[in-house]
Amino acid sequence: MFGKYKPMWGEKTQLKSSYDAVIIGGGLHGLATAYYLAKDHGITDVAIIEKNYIGFGGAGRNTAIVRANQRTQYNVPLYKEALDLWPILTKELDYNLMFNNCGNLNLMHSEAAMKAARMTIATAQFHGVESHLIDAKEAKELVPALNISEDITYPIHGAMFHPPGGIVRHDAVVWGLARGASKFGVEIHQQTEATAVNTRNGKIVSIETNRGTINTNKLLISAGGYSAALIYGMVGIKLPISVLTIQAMVTQPLKPLLDHVVSSGAYHCYANQTLKGEIATGAHMDQWPNYTTQTTAHYIKHQGEALSEFMPCLRGLRFMRIWAGLADMTPDMAPILDGNDHIEGFYFNCGWGYFGFKSCSASGKYMAEFMAKGQAPDMIKPFNLRRYEQHKLMGETAELVTYTPNN
Amino acid sequence: MSLTITCPICGKRNGYEFRFGGEDKGPRPDEDSLTPQRWCEYVHLNECVAGVQKEWWVHKDGCGSWFTIHRDTVMNVEVAKPEADR
Amino acid sequence: MMTRINQLPTLRVDPTKKVVFDYKGKDYVGAHGDTVATALYYNDVRIFGRSLKYHRPRGLYSLDGECSNTCMEIDGIPNVRTENTLVKQGMKVKEQNVKGSAENDMMGFIDKLDFMMPAGFYYKTMHKPASIWPVAMKQIRKAAGLGVLSPDFEMPGKFDQIFPSADVVVIGGGPAGMSAALASADKGLRVIIMESRPWLGGFFDYRTFDYRDENYKNNKQLYSRARELASKVESHANIRVFTHTSVVGTYTNNLVTGFQIGKDNDKFTERYIEIRANAVVVATGCIERPLIFENNERPGVMQVGCVHRLARTYGILAGERAVFSVGHDLGLEAAIDLFDLGMKILCVADVREDGQNPHLMIELAKRNIPYLKGWVAAEAKGGKRVKGVVMTTLDGTISRDFDCDLIVASAGFTPLNGPLTLAHAKLRYDSHTNFFVADKMPEKTHAAGRMLGLEDSLSIEASGVIAGLKAALDCKLMKESYGNSDVDALKSEIDATVAKQKELPGPARGSKFVTAPVKGRKSFICFDEDTTIKNIRQAIEMGFDVPELIKRFTSAGTGPGQGGIPGHNLPLYVAKYLAASGAPPKPTTVRAPLVPTLIATYAGSKHIMMKRTPMDDMQRADGGVFRKIGVWERARYFSDDFSCKKEIENVRNNVGMLDGSTLGKFRIHGPDALKVLQRVYVSDMSKVKLGRVKYSAMCNDDGCVIDDGVVIKLAENDYYFTTSTARAGATIEWLRYHTRFDGWDFYVVNLTDSMGVINLSGPNARKVLQKITSEDVSNSAFAFSGYKEFMVKDTIPVKAMRLGFVGELSYEFHVPSSYMVSLWNMLKDAGKEFNIQNFGVEAQNVLRMEKCHIILGQESEQRTNLLDLGLGFLWDRTKKDAKTVGAVALRQAENDPTRFRLVGFEMENNGRAARDGALIVDDKVRGYVCTARDSFTLNKAVGMALVESHLAKVGTRLEIFEDECGGERIYGTVVPMPFYDPDGTRMKS
Ligand SMILES: Cc1cc2nc3c(=O)[nH]c(=O)nc-3n(C[C@H](O)[C@H](O)[C@H](O)COP(=O)(O)OP(=O)(O)OC[C@H]3O[C@@H](n4cnc5c(N)ncnc54)[C@H](O)[C@@H]3O)c2cc1C
Ligand SMILES: [Zn+2]
Repeated sequence: MFGKYKPMWGEKTQLKSSYDAVIIGGGLHGLATAYYLAKDHGITDVAIIEKNYIGFGGAGRNTAIVRANQRTQYNVPLYKEALDLWPILTKELDYNLMFNNCGNLNLMHSEAAMKAARMTIATAQFHGVESHLIDAKEAKELVPALNISEDITYPIHGAMFHPPGGIVRHDAVVWGLARGASKFGVEIHQQTEATAVNTRNGKIVSIETNRGTINTNKLLISAGGYSAALIYGMVGIKLPISVLTIQAMVTQPLKPLLDHVVSSGAYHCYANQTLKGEIATGAHMDQWPNYTTQTTAHYIKHQGEALSEFMPCLRGLRFMRIWAGLADMTPDMAPILDGNDHIEGFYFNCGWGYFGFKSCSASGKYMAEFMAKGQAPDMIKPFNLRRYEQHKLMGETAELVTYTPNN
Repeated sequence: MSLTITCPICGKRNGYEFRFGGEDKGPRPDEDSLTPQRWCEYVHLNECVAGVQKEWWVHKDGCGSWFTIHRDTVMNVEVAKPEADR
Repeated sequence: MMTRINQLPTLRVDPTKKVVFDYKGKDYVGAHGDTVATALYYNDVRIFGRSLKYHRPRGLYSLDGECSNTCMEIDGIPNVRTENTLVKQGMKVKEQNVKGSAENDMMGFIDKLDFMMPAGFYYKTMHKPASIWPVAMKQIRKAAGLGVLSPDFEMPGKFDQIFPSADVVVIGGGPAGMSAALASADKGLRVIIMESRPWLGGFFDYRTFDYRDENYKNNKQLYSRARELASKVESHANIRVFTHTSVVGTYTNNLVTGFQIGKDNDKFTERYIEIRANAVVVATGCIERPLIFENNERPGVMQVGCVHRLARTYGILAGERAVFSVGHDLGLEAAIDLFDLGMKILCVADVREDGQNPHLMIELAKRNIPYLKGWVAAEAKGGKRVKGVVMTTLDGTISRDFDCDLIVASAGFTPLNGPLTLAHAKLRYDSHTNFFVADKMPEKTHAAGRMLGLEDSLSIEASGVIAGLKAALDCKLMKESYGNSDVDALKSEIDATVAKQKELPGPARGSKFVTAPVKGRKSFICFDEDTTIKNIRQAIEMGFDVPELIKRFTSAGTGPGQGGIPGHNLPLYVAKYLAASGAPPKPTTVRAPLVPTLIATYAGSKHIMMKRTPMDDMQRADGGVFRKIGVWERARYFSDDFSCKKEIENVRNNVGMLDGSTLGKFRIHGPDALKVLQRVYVSDMSKVKLGRVKYSAMCNDDGCVIDDGVVIKLAENDYYFTTSTARAGATIEWLRYHTRFDGWDFYVVNLTDSMGVINLSGPNARKVLQKITSEDVSNSAFAFSGYKEFMVKDTIPVKAMRLGFVGELSYEFHVPSSYMVSLWNMLKDAGKEFNIQNFGVEAQNVLRMEKCHIILGQESEQRTNLLDLGLGFLWDRTKKDAKTVGAVALRQAENDPTRFRLVGFEMENNGRAARDGALIVDDKVRGYVCTARDSFTLNKAVGMALVESHLAKVGTRLEIFEDECGGERIYGTVVPMPFYDPDGTRMKS
């Protein structure tokens, strides 16, 4: 029924001395880009260079929430395509990505927030993405655990309800993409660290790794939270990125209680129930750069306080595990997809903050096209790095930018 | 992790009393012949050092002063000023 | 019901005090001091629940709650670890994850279907065809999870929190921890000791002999040594003891968190404890490493400590006929002790080839207990209970069956390293102890006791003393106030103690990872997730060759008990399986909380903290509908008509009064005050005149507007200014940030809370004001944009400004908060004849919109710069030397044609107002509606929108896309701004 147990993404092989394309980072975006390079563009002589094991970074730490109701017209189409791709990828990869399209509720805690949500909803609807404003009672019907009384710090006025969103099994995406890419011949080299990039006459020529030099004319850095440091360190391009630690946690598993993803900006909190029955919840970030991926006492307590208010029944549950990963935040909460500009043949894909899971399929698809053709496809053109020097931040957040990324 | 930071006025305190104010990029550049690139670098771009960096903090729930410290971003702990900077 | 051995000196239960509780609707009787688990066991309950995947029966295993085997629902709370929960009168206890009962679970058949569920089988099934998945998913969800929680469950109990500080925190109240606490405390340091069991004593607590050291303090029995230490600790003035307190987190800079379970007469059910210490001692000891064999988790298979403590601590003999399969001396000791207590021991198998304590061997022999060296349990027999066991030699060549009702199985020990690794210790595999040991300790942290591999009791105590002294030294070195004089003495004391300990036995050799040669189809490595060693092999063959990855792929160690059961065995097994690679075992990651912790406990007591203005009560009395806005509660409406028609019309026709106290209010003075304002405001602040109000804005370095407000010059280099409500908290920080390199001399004071603000607006406003003051407030004496200070009734100092935010004759009074109520009442009395009424924030919003005055955050967002808003007139570009924040970016963006513009529009054909947030579109999004309302004043629908500049010309038709429009567009036309009183006659007259 299940066949033989054989390695899912090819046997361990020797590192060759040259590839048509090299990707640094075996995370979501690296794997997806490799997959589409091979599948859509016939570029199969690709090496993915992964320092630890695939899925070590954000790919294995995120809470797997997917949705397409972003705020701006640049982002919605990209995320919509990504959302539409989950069932397609499940089929293509012949791997159950366990897409649970349970819908997302984003709670609104004031009239002002309700109004702000209208713009986001209108933007979604204009682009054919289902999203509605619902009142507190309707929200309570969908999520009986909600406390819609006035007796909490941020009383619930209503919610932005986005039925097509949900959760996907994050590990499955990593392993499925890895298997899919390796079937086309892409090589995945784990425990291999990229240490330097060599350029000549403004062109990429090779990279150095702890296992030797690899020649290539096309290089993608998509190393998640490590990208900014690598890109600055290896090719000297500074990025508008702050690398923060983002935390998430799960409770002990229980029988179905929450049927939707619930999130609240005011409480800095989201929660959903995994297929295993745990309530997965996040997403606080300490607002200073750090690479520790360690959790804080402050936050797990904060999360207890927040959930106690807007879903008080959860007080009877126990947290059993908290973890953290890196979030590479940009000032406008939109990623940077760029390349073939500052250095020929050099591409980078980063700044995904805490949105890089839901987007990885579409991002990989378009980055692959970018790398294959050398020209940015229209879909991702707006995500270039130059927008910052043109004072054209993307507005994925309405928050004002002052001196630090998120305040 | 539980950061502590030493305020030059108030001493060592819980990190949550402070707000991070960015990598130290020196004083505001002169405005004459300032290119958009140079300005963008000053305003937005970071080195994202994985290691010790000099950075700004404000004691928001304390005396309110701005000051720099050195911090190891990999361990997330305040460290002594490196030799080179003294 | 079983009989209890009532006379043991080690007992922790009081069998004379009965506790009646409810299990599945029937009354059961336990003893005071019983845990729910021991009370149930005493009442012959053997199956406590069913396992997650295969619904296998599960029972008592470790007595410390490392796995979900014995989790039950108690008083409506799911997944309660019955092994750690004291039974209480009237408790309601229920089993979990069963269909029928734990004893007869209708889902039990799934156990036979394991062949269909190899490692990672989910990923390869149920997605073809796609339509199966939603159905399958429902079933998976139903099957998953253990307990049940109702969405309207209300957590009973009281939850407290404390944040003490200490010099030394000692984690673990066993012999090592207690010795450490005493050593530190004796040096004058403040010590906190935390112990997860309800009493101090650790693994000495239930032991009656120390066979290893005949000379041990006159053959003192270990339990009495423990009690002696405990009473010293408890009576020490410098030590604060927290028992029944689990440490759940440790962090850098020696922050330790935990929670305590309240005793009968405590005022809390549980309380969260967060301690900032100077030094930490970790003496958490060991748990037992499970022995892996077929059916190694059948009810009736128990660990050594479980069986031993059941007898010694609770007076319960776990079985009648026991077979031991162990790998350490504690197992031999237990067999001897249990034999003496009346248990029949059929045999003791020991996986170790040598290294046994000879004294124990003699005692075993004395009792004629058969001893099988190099043997191990291979398979437990029996379904719902153990009925027998197959024992084999390690190579599997010889085997023997035993009929028994108890298998005592324990492969070795696992040090409880969690508190070290959470605080960033790096672990290294130590082949002597077969432990992961800390390689690099966190700063000012010391480990002691069994977790170091020590087994000798004297050595364990000595290691505690050393750790306690070292922690004391850390503290003394940190704090000069202790006086450094005794540091040297302390150092030599440490050296001497270390030297003495060297003479005692060091870390014991740990038993190797051993399993009988069986297929492993039902040899469980993780009980919570029903992961077998066969699953682990499958995962490795599929390329998952790191324990951390295997954990993810097979779920081992991700269940309710986390790594408690598989944490040590998994890496050992993987290393053994991949022996060819020669790599040492790699530990999996331990994560907080070290013990599952209630959300209620983390949350503590409920506290909603909002600021209220001085006029809060009065506005509520007047029918104000309040909303939480930022840190404030504000009156948003004054009736249930949220269109605010009456409030609006009254301002336009008579006079209204608004509480504006939430505005940010500041005074800045000192020699360089003006320079600071020049830096942060876009206007030339040197032009601010005495007696005048200056409206201006602050931008960020991208040129985007972050704040607006008014500035008043009080004297040379002395200004009073306001900010928006939202920015009040960050304003001083902002000023200081942007001048941090300049060394300027200025003082800035936040007056937001000490000053209140009343806005008096409407054509009758002057008449009202004139009634309460003798000051000349005529239009000529107090004109638009004027500023005046005067006293009301010779008592109330008023800073008065003539503004026009709502577009009418309007005054804003800034008054010390304590006078606000009086002034409010005076104005209200004075205004009666002019029909004065309250108006709230929403009415103000409409009024100002009609006048096209912007509110930041409403007419602007992250991307909106000063010029986009049409506020370019505020910007003085000649003051380059001021290095005005935002000026560079404004210059660079000035001629960019692709930016948005703020425009006014009215709806076409007398249509209703578009909703805020509606989009301006053609085939693309071209902008959005910021605020739009059906204006009662103008009798038409108007609004403001941010649009691409090619749509900004007056007369342009705007196509508007609203949410839920179903494809129907509505239209508006760009018109000049403002809509109301364009010449400002009303505002200025
Ligand atoms: C707690 C948490 C919750 C989140 N929740 C969500 C969510 O609900 N929804 C969502 O959409 N997103 C979420 N995210 C964000 C998402 O996980 C990330 O945006 C995403 O993983 C980014 O993918 P990536 O491929 O760019 O990087 P990663 O997945 O981080 O992969 C980068 C890889 O690069 C490797 N690498 C680094 N340096 C080198 C080197 N020198 N050489 C070779 N390899 C190197 C790393 O080992 C790593 O494997 C969350 C993130 C976290 C941490
Ligand atoms: Zn301070």
